[in-house]
Amino acid sequence: MKKRLLTLMMTAVLALSAVACTSTGTGTETVTEETEATEAAENSGDEGQETTVPDEGNSESSDKILRAATSFAYASIDVHKEYYGWYTSIYGVSEALFKMDENMNAVPLLAEDATCDGSVWTITLKDGVAFSNGNPLTADMVVRNLQRLAEVNERFAYLADFEMTAVDDKTLTIDTGDVYPTLRNDLASPEFGMMDLDNTTDFDNDPICTGPFVISKFQPEGDVEVVRNENYWGGEVKLAGAVFYYMQEDDPKLIAMQSGEIDCYNSVSSAALAVYEQEPDKYNVVSIPGARLQFYILNENNLDDSVREAINLTVDKDKIAEYLSGTVSAAVGPFNPSAAYGQVTVPAVDVAKAKEVLEADGYTLGDDGIYEKDGEKLCISIKYYAARSLDTIALLIQEQLREVGIDSELGVEEDPDATYLATSDFDLALYCMIADKGGDPLYFIESTLMDGAFLNCGGFEDAHCEELIGELKFETDSAKRADLANEIVQIAIDDNAFGYVGLFNSTTVLRPGVTGFAENIPFDFYGIDANTTIE
Amino acid sequence: MIRSVLKKLAEIIIILVVLSFFVFVLLYIAPGDPAEKRLTSQGIVVTKQVLDAERERLGLLKPFLVRYGEWLFSVIKGDFGVSFKDDMPVAPKLYKGLVNTCILAFSSLMLSLSLSFTLGVASAVKKDGIFDHIVRIFSFVANSLPNFLISVLLMYFFCIKLDIFPVIAAGDLQGLVMPVLSLAIPMTGRFTRQIRAEILNRMNEDYVTGMKGRGVKNRYIILNVVRNSLGHIFTIVALQIGTLMGGSVVIETIFRWPGIGKLVMDSISARDYPVIMGFVLIMGAIYVVVNSLSDVLDRTLDPRISE
Repeated sequence: MKKRLLTLMMTAVLALSAVACTSTGTGTETVTEETEATEAAENSGDEGQETTVPDEGNSESSDKILRAATSFAYASIDVHKEYYGWYTSIYGVSEALFKMDENMNAVPLLAEDATCDGSVWTITLKDGVAFSNGNPLTADMVVRNLQRLAEVNERFAYLADFEMTAVDDKTLTIDTGDVYPTLRNDLASPEFGMMDLDNTTDFDNDPICTGPFVISKFQPEGDVEVVRNENYWGGEVKLAGAVFYYMQEDDPKLIAMQSGEIDCYNSVSSAALAVYEQEPDKYNVVSIPGARLQFYILNENNLDDSVREAINLTVDKDKIAEYLSGTVSAAVGPFNPSAAYGQVTVPAVDVAKAKEVLEADGYTLGDDGIYEKDGEKLCISIKYYAARSLDTIALLIQEQLREVGIDSELGVEEDPDATYLATSDFDLALYCMIADKGGDPLYFIESTLMDGAFLNCGGFEDAHCEELIGELKFETDSAKRADLANEIVQIAIDDNAFGYVGLFNSTTVLRPGVTGFAENIPFDFYGIDANTTIE
Repeated sequence: MIRSVLKKLAEIIIILVVLSFFVFVLLYIAPGDPAEKRLTSQGIVVTKQVLDAERERLGLLKPFLVRYGEWLFSVIKGDFGVSFKDDMPVAPKLYKGLVNTCILAFSSLMLSLSLSFTLGVASAVKKDGIFDHIVRIFSFVANSLPNFLISVLLMYFFCIKLDIFPVIAAGDLQGLVMPVLSLAIPMTGRFTRQIRAEILNRMNEDYVTGMKGRGVKNRYIILNVVRNSLGHIFTIVALQIGTLMGGSVVIETIFRWPGIGKLVMDSISARDYPVIMGFVLIMGAIYVVVNSLSDVLDRTLDPRISE
């Protein structure tokens, strides 16, 4: 019988060997141009350290390859389509006319300047800007890029209404019809990245752009490799190249960081953050408040003023932020408090006052510790969706409200836009969105506070606020815009129409010596640039 | 023979049409909008005008039956349409995902079958012995562990502690080892228990008692029992194939394996109807074909079923 068992075991081993000998491959990648980056990056896994490739001509530059992980990957890298421009920007391949800086200002990148006279913007391009193939970026090419963006991306279809003219090689004008104060901010969006439309033959796989890096290998919905743009118009590019590994899950990213297979990544989870913080000599963690906001909408059609006020006096954002272990910062208003348009105030958490407010409105505390009025228990419905930590926040809010005497029922939906936000079937609705997409408050205010806006689904109405929004749309002075925005948001806060819970931190982990991975910029669409280095 | 094959083919076509219509209805009534998912995927809110324009472009404003009819006719012509998520053709996406998942599923199935057949038969033969106890404990533990936990544990030991595999592997043999093990370990636990139970069940049948009474050697008895159990074992395997083809999404995500499970989960999140419908058709066809083959195999191995 032992022989029989042995035979069976041998059969199993043979079967395994047969499987092992089967050559596999995902067979998906589109190789644009083979470079040393691939081999260098693969070799790097053995050593667990940064790798080098032979330097070709740029003697002052580093010969190192950065290895990063990204949570998203797409089927195309056409800069103008969908959100692909975010990724070509992260890869250091595409550049827009302006760029958001650390202080959330749109600063010139490919453009020298942009001036506004009424509805006409005049944009001047920098001297010497060229694509990676050496062709210069002209005003005419910029105009054609903007026209293409309007055609292929529904979010930017409004550009088709603008009259765009190339005045000369370096100057173009854009007549927006009405006064359009935020054009400069729009032009900083990564979708406005410039491509050589005359010479790009494969927009989905190999766009020719102006960035410090060029695509060397693009695997649709997979890994991406870039190498230094030897013709970069902006001067020295410090890295020889970079590899972006597509890794959706947090645990593999953590293990890859521990095993030395990657050098950096952002959107670090709280669990991974706790691990990195235990070894500060091995990992450098940079965390700054980002532009993604967690907030709730209070339904004015269902809830008394006193209940809304009591809720806002009870929800303790600091405790929520603490519970979420460094992944969010407690919010005051919807915007980063360091921005000029983020200067609003909210009442401090005060449970005793919350009770007073309820009792003054006729609510009495029942034996079960829940307030009631006219024989009805005070119980609100909290709607949320299980993403961006909103499920955790819903539970924490439920717990905090119960302490003050407000009962609640949780309701989870997969798609908030198609369910509770569309029907206003909620008392308290949680939502997460990018509140500041380009250094200006108008987008968020129009999306949430304006009469008829999709996210103004809790019945908030204020004639003065509407008037101020009208002013904000056409105000060109930055300081006045900030004042208007602060006044508008303060009205909504004072009306207890919303509760701004937390701003997601933009958290990046880097191996010591790695710098310049946009770790200090609170936007999701920046990554490597000419100054990214590995010491 | 030809008539029965044609009959089976007709059955398959009817099943697939009914299945596709049923899934199309479910997708239609389920909340969610591909246009909205596409435009707001990064957390940017868009205006109603922009949303409506995108809905129009994707053909979402057409009546339900028109949409289903258009989809069905284009599938009959061999065109699965383009993805709502990124405008890329659906067929190559499904093909790529299917090939990768087949490689993963077949490799883990072969490994699991080899191990569980060996362990299950040996455990049944040595019933209540130490080996049997060890195998039962292994199969219980392996069957209880969720895939994602096994994946992370394997990654931790193989990539950090032993440092013999990279976390970031290319789609080659090296990259196949850990996902195959992650899928095969719980499957081996499950198969081992089922095979052991089936063998023990057969050992109690009258013909085994008769063979023992006639003094037939034990090895021949076991060979007979194993042969007679094959039909049942194939049925178990056939049922598992469907799960493997669509249910290895966690493994595919953790190990960056671009399979069809991950593709369809991403498509469901994005309400990418053309990809979901293509997946349903292909998986439906695989299920029906595999189960039909299992029936045929069952009848061949055990003629009593046909009687």
